[in-house]
Amino acid sequence: MKKRKFTFLTFSFYAFLLLIVASWYFVIGVKNASLAELFSKENMAYATKFFKGLFGVGQEDVAFMNRDSWSHAFKLTIETLQMSIMAIGFSTIVMFLTVIPASRNVADGTMTLSRKWYRWIVFGLIRISYVFSRAIPELVWAMIVIFIFKPGILPGAIALALHNFGILGKLCAEVIEDTDSRPIRNLASAGAGRAQILMYGVFPTVLPQFLTYILYRWEVIMRTTIVVGFVGAGGLGQEFKLSMSFFHYTEITLLLICYLILVIIADYISEKSRFFVK
Amino acid sequence: MFSFDLHKRKILTVFLLLLFMWSLFGVHWQEGVMHSSGIGTAMEIFAAMFTPDLSLDILYLAAESSWLTIAYATAGMSLALVLALIIGILASGVLASGKHSRSFMKGSFRGVLGFMRAIHELVWAWLFVASFGLSPYAAIFALAIPYGGILGRIFADMINDVPEEPIQALRAAGASRLQCLFYGYLPSVKNSMISYTMYRYECAIRSSAIMSFVGLGGLGYQIQLSLDDLQYNEVWTFLYFLIIIVVFIDGWSNMLRRRMAQ
Amino acid sequence: MSEQNIIEMNQISKNYERKIALSSLSFVVEKGELIALIGPSGAGKTTLLNLLATILKPDGGELIIDGQPIQQYSDQKKRAKKIGIIRQQFDLVGQLAVIHNVLAGRLADWGFFKSFLSLFIPQEKQAATLALERVGLPDKLFERTSNLSGGEQQRVALARLLMQKPEIVLADEPVASLDPARAEDILNMLTKLAKEEQQTVIASLHSVEYARKYFTRLIALKNGELFFDLPADQVTDKQLQELYQLKELN
Repeated sequence: MKKRKFTFLTFSFYAFLLLIVASWYFVIGVKNASLAELFSKENMAYATKFFKGLFGVGQEDVAFMNRDSWSHAFKLTIETLQMSIMAIGFSTIVMFLTVIPASRNVADGTMTLSRKWYRWIVFGLIRISYVFSRAIPELVWAMIVIFIFKPGILPGAIALALHNFGILGKLCAEVIEDTDSRPIRNLASAGAGRAQILMYGVFPTVLPQFLTYILYRWEVIMRTTIVVGFVGAGGLGQEFKLSMSFFHYTEITLLLICYLILVIIADYISEKSRFFVK
Repeated sequence: MFSFDLHKRKILTVFLLLLFMWSLFGVHWQEGVMHSSGIGTAMEIFAAMFTPDLSLDILYLAAESSWLTIAYATAGMSLALVLALIIGILASGVLASGKHSRSFMKGSFRGVLGFMRAIHELVWAWLFVASFGLSPYAAIFALAIPYGGILGRIFADMINDVPEEPIQALRAAGASRLQCLFYGYLPSVKNSMISYTMYRYECAIRSSAIMSFVGLGGLGYQIQLSLDDLQYNEVWTFLYFLIIIVVFIDGWSNMLRRRMAQ
Repeated sequence: MSEQNIIEMNQISKNYERKIALSSLSFVVEKGELIALIGPSGAGKTTLLNLLATILKPDGGELIIDGQPIQQYSDQKKRAKKIGIIRQQFDLVGQLAVIHNVLAGRLADWGFFKSFLSLFIPQEKQAATLALERVGLPDKLFERTSNLSGGEQQRVALARLLMQKPEIVLADEPVASLDPARAEDILNMLTKLAKEEQQTVIASLHSVEYARKYFTRLIALKNGELFFDLPADQVTDKQLQELYQLKELN
């Protein structure tokens, strides 16, 4: 038995080493990517021009000195915030609706003290939907969603939610799987029905960890809102793309600053909320 | 009489619910949220899930893009690991000599890591492409920096969580700070580090797939092309490739984690 | 088959895959008796209690509770009105306030909405307060249950039983994780409350001392069989020695 484990780990190790070498070889050898080329004179000149543009050097109409652009950016920031909250809200709703049948100890009956054959089928279907949801990146979801919905923050929120409900669902199902089933079965022996077991036994026990995961995903979603905006889903991201196409670099700096502030605030709120969850 | 402790969570939940309802006001519901053919398109896209395009050239294209995606992700991740190890160890403060230099080290390097991870990889990618042009290095650096930041921060936290006693014993035996690192800290966190890196590697594959937006090729680029052509069947082929890769890496990393925990 | 018998066990047997847990067990219990179940580990005490609680089904024999065969008690709520259980630990939901754990004893009678509402505005608060007073924890109403000590938590479990008002109380090693002082405290309370509520108690214990002290009848199991079934004052030390095969320390 020990020899087997040893072999799998070392096999993995060598496999990864091979993968890394192959990747770099591919990048440098096959694709002829050259680091030197990156820092060539032309490129440096271009890069300098770009950075100068970002900081508004030598420009008349610098966006981040302009009061109107700040208020415009502020409005967009609020919209982006709303998008992120909607997204986590939708994800949480879907999660709550699907998480209980998606837990192994519900599917095999240990939690509910009853065995029904169809539980495994429901379990399987929900888990597959989680896999689809998590594996497809938010941006790809956004690209699809934008075909269906008009541009705005709603498609952005939906795309983010579509990707995140799978992640949240899996994390929360694991929490349910890890709960001690004894107090819960004891409620049954006191005469509680299924719904009552949920209310008195399951939810109070899992809610703290659920809240932690929800806040954690909200933080990640906050970072990704700028990305779904690229494809037209509203908020700071969409404006970013517009400024990019018009080469209004100073606007981009302004938007980036707002974005950074949002991310920092989200991080901070998430930290502080842990206190409430404890 | 009502202990605040007990009602903390209920207060938080109510607050969050209100926040959610406020957010819904950001949408202009009155003007109609869907395109006129919205539902139809949705049905089409959904139906195409069952009929992915399996023609040879599409499969070849998918395989090629998959390799591109994996290669960039692996190269980026390997760089991220190096960055994370260096900056993360520095950020944990275990190499610092005194109390003041320790907090200075911790603070400044954690700040660096925070900056690295705050910006989404796609934004980094765009910055690199806009300044240095279209090169695979744009994708690789764009992955390495934020992932390096994330890994580094977690590594620093893991190192800080190592219990003090064994380390002090090493110090008492005469080990220098660097030796403490190699004999004391790293062995304890090695497994957790590997486990977390594997988890992030899966994320990196997905991030690499969407690097296409800056024109760097890969599965995401192909998905975008096929979407623009309204070829939903092709889109699903690429999606399936992506899903399979992600699930495979996920499964592998789970197996590794289980083996390591034994 | 007297009217007074609340439990009748007739040739009950229960097997697990490779092991016979209980074989041909028979005894009757009258209403209001305080019975201690003793025997070495693995003798089948927990299996017997789980059978009585209808958590397990017997493989052979019949079990009659208050004149009705055990099959009639498949409805959880009906069973809860007849039989209540208290275990060694992990009975209570740690994250809830004490009052909710106590009120959980009433869930068999409460509908969905009342149960839900009670989590925010506790219903039947007076009854719960009274129950907590009887177990000596009047000021712990709104404490988080996991903050209480082991002995206090068992008392809350007793308070829940007071709300549930079952006719039979089954106790599976209720004091095994408590120190002697707390253990005697709980056993004292358990038997006192049972007398006040006119309940029948069957408690499995690993301490023979406690069994003799607090209970009126001892049923001993060994290897799944009935070893002896006697009033507490008639049990001899020799019988106990044989039961546990204890070695004298001389």
